[in-house]
Amino acid sequence: MAYEYQAVHALDGTIGAIAEQRTNHLSVHRMTAVAMVLAAPGQTAEAAGILVSNGEFEARFSGPGEWLVLSEVHAPETLAAELSVRLGDFAFVVDQSHGRVVLTLSGRDAARILANGIAVDLHADAFPIGRAANVLCSHLSVNLARTGNESFDLVVMRSFAEALVDDLKVMARSHDLSVDFATR
Amino acid sequence: MASLISCPHCGTRPKEEFLIRGDATPVRPAPMAAEEAWHDYAHLRANPRGRIREHWQHVAGCRRWLVVERDNFTHEVFGVTDAAKAGEGAR
Ligand SMILES: [Zn+2]
Repeated sequence: MAYEYQAVHALDGTIGAIAEQRTNHLSVHRMTAVAMVLAAPGQTAEAAGILVSNGEFEARFSGPGEWLVLSEVHAPETLAAELSVRLGDFAFVVDQSHGRVVLTLSGRDAARILANGIAVDLHADAFPIGRAANVLCSHLSVNLARTGNESFDLVVMRSFAEALVDDLKVMARSHDLSVDFATR
Repeated sequence: MASLISCPHCGTRPKEEFLIRGDATPVRPAPMAAEEAWHDYAHLRANPRGRIREHWQHVAGCRRWLVVERDNFTHEVFGVTDAAKAGEGAR
């Protein structure tokens, strides 16, 4: 028997259709390719060397010998396979494109909004551009990365995406925030 | 309670990001050790005041098991080590 499968984003029907972007904007990416890479025992340095950002993908620190790799160039269907070929026996790769949701928070108050739920020093000296870490945001564990002076990426497990957006709206209550899908 | 823990992988974090398992000092007996040794290992714990070693897991961060050495009276934290490294030292 044949089934018709339809890709539905975890946040479909909960956000979108805004009139204009406000001072601060939370942009939800529809289809960023995401893969989890775990270095084989003793091969962390080799795997890290291969994962150096090259414009095709970006590796975000998640734990020792463990990264979330994001790509806007590769399709979700091909990123994990591409990484597996490059990494060979140095690491294990698991596709997470449909398991995680990627959000970008940008705007003048981005760091202030995040500070309402994340107990990590987000001053540019302590958390510079390019830095990434798993952090607790309210009660959810998310991968946070600084992508610019006033912009951060958050990667969260799919089933927690709606709760995270709700939390971010509360955290931004005294700041001007709009939420929508990214147009790409 | 020590409220800030410096994870060797993630930096200084609030205690809410961690799960505390308990005493890190008992050493697992050999598989065929006497029943008494296993009983002590599984059930007996000292309850000291002062400097202690505990297993903490950084659940909301790197998810690694850590050994935190702290004073449960003054809240001072003396050191945080990855449990794998701490285990190597003990061997
Ligand atoms: Zn950690």
